[in-house]
Amino acid sequence: MTTLKEELQTCLEAFRRGELTEAHLRRALDSAEKAGDNGNGHRTQDLLYLQANSTSLGATVLGMAMLRDGQLSDGPADPQLWPYVTVLDAIRDGWRVIHFPNMALMMDESRTYGLGCEFILEK
Amino acid sequence: MKTHNCPPTLTDRQVLEFCKNGFLMLEGVVSDEINKRTLEYLEGNTSGEPIEILHEDWFMSNVIQNSQAAGAVRSLLGKNFGLPTLMSNHRVRTPAPAQGWHRDGGWKHGVELNYLQVFYYPQACTFEMGPTALLPGSHFLFSQSVYMGHYGSIRGTYYAVAPAGSIFITVYSIWHRRSASSVPGLRNLLKYNYWRLSPPERDWIVEPDFDFANADYAIHDAPTFREQFVDCTDAAHMFMWLCGQGDHFSTLGGQAWPLRARHDPMPYGVPSVLLNGSNHDVNLVTNGSRTSRH
Repeated sequence: MTTLKEELQTCLEAFRRGELTEAHLRRALDSAEKAGDNGNGHRTQDLLYLQANSTSLGATVLGMAMLRDGQLSDGPADPQLWPYVTVLDAIRDGWRVIHFPNMALMMDESRTYGLGCEFILEK
Repeated sequence: MKTHNCPPTLTDRQVLEFCKNGFLMLEGVVSDEINKRTLEYLEGNTSGEPIEILHEDWFMSNVIQNSQAAGAVRSLLGKNFGLPTLMSNHRVRTPAPAQGWHRDGGWKHGVELNYLQVFYYPQACTFEMGPTALLPGSHFLFSQSVYMGHYGSIRGTYYAVAPAGSIFITVYSIWHRRSASSVPGLRNLLKYNYWRLSPPERDWIVEPDFDFANADYAIHDAPTFREQFVDCTDAAHMFMWLCGQGDHFSTLGGQAWPLRARHDPMPYGVPSVLLNGSNHDVNLVTNGSRTSRH
C-alpha cells in the first residue's frame, strides 16, 4: 500500500517537473483519509499503559497493558517478553505520552495509591 | 457460629513470610480421594456458591479442618477461629481471558489480620489452565478495585500453579485475579473465609533462635511499588500485631529497625517490648504465659 508520505513525495516530484495534476492530489488525499484506518472505516487510537518504579522516563516498567487495533491485551505474562523495558523505550518506538504520573496522589505519605507511577501513551 | 481449634503448624519465620508476601501455598495437602469426591460433588452442584458442601462431614473434616491448612489458619488467627459461612466456586470453562485485578469486596486496609481468604484446588491447575495470580506484598498496597481495571501483566506476579489438593491462604486484601487460560477444560476453585475470634498472640510454633531485632522483614522476590523500606515496615508491624504487640510498634527511621543491622549486632530503634534490657531477650506472651529467653 502506498503511504501518505510516498504520495506526497510523488506530488512534490511532479510539482518540480511542472506535471502536478488534480489526480496526484486526490491520491494523496485518499492516502490521508486511510491513514490510521483499522479496516472498518474507523481510525482507532492505540493506548499503552506502563506502570514504572519512578516518574523517570528511564525507570523500569513494572506493569503493562495495551489497546492495539481495538483489541485489549495484557501483554505477555513473562516480563522478559514485554515490548519495553522502560518508558523511554516506548517513546523511541513512536508512542507519545498523554498522561504523566499524577503527583497529586503523592500528597498522603501514609498510603500508596495503585501500582507505581503510571504513564499512559498513545499512537 | 461454628469454630474450630487445632494445633498451630506455622513457625515464627513462616508467619513472618506470610506477613511479607500476603499468602501461603500448601501444595497437595488434601488427599486424592477427597479431591475426587469434591469434584464429583461439584459436578452435581454447579452453583457459583455451593454452600451446601459445608454440611458434608467428609468435606468439613478433610478440607475446611484439614490439619495442615487449619493448622496454618490457627497460627494466624489464634485459637477457636471462626469457620466459613459461605462457599464460592470459581468454576470456569477454559480457555478464558484473564480477569481484572481486584481485591474482594469487604477488604479493610491495614496491618490487622482478623480474617483470611482461602482457596482450594480439588484438581491440578497448570499455567495453561489459568491459575489464580497473586501480587506478593500487595495486601499493603492501597487501591480500590474499580481503579485496577486497566492493569495488565505485572512484574513479580505469582501464579498459583499447583497440584490437586492444594490450599492457599491469603490476606483478604491481596490483589489477585484469574489469569488467562489457553487450553480447553473446566477449572474448579473453591474459595472461603475464616475469622479471628481471639486476641492476637504469639502462640504459633516459637523458634528458639528467632531474632526479632534482626529478622528479615523485607520482601525480596517481587517489586514493592512503593517507597523503599515501606514494605519492610508494614510487614514488621503486621508481625508485631500478630504477636499481640501492635500498640508498641514504632520505628526510628532511616536505616534503623526493622532493617537489619549490617555492622552491629542489633539495629537501632528496636521497640523495647521486643527486648529485655540489653541482653537481647524476647519477652512476649507465648501460649498464655510470659516467657523470657534468648
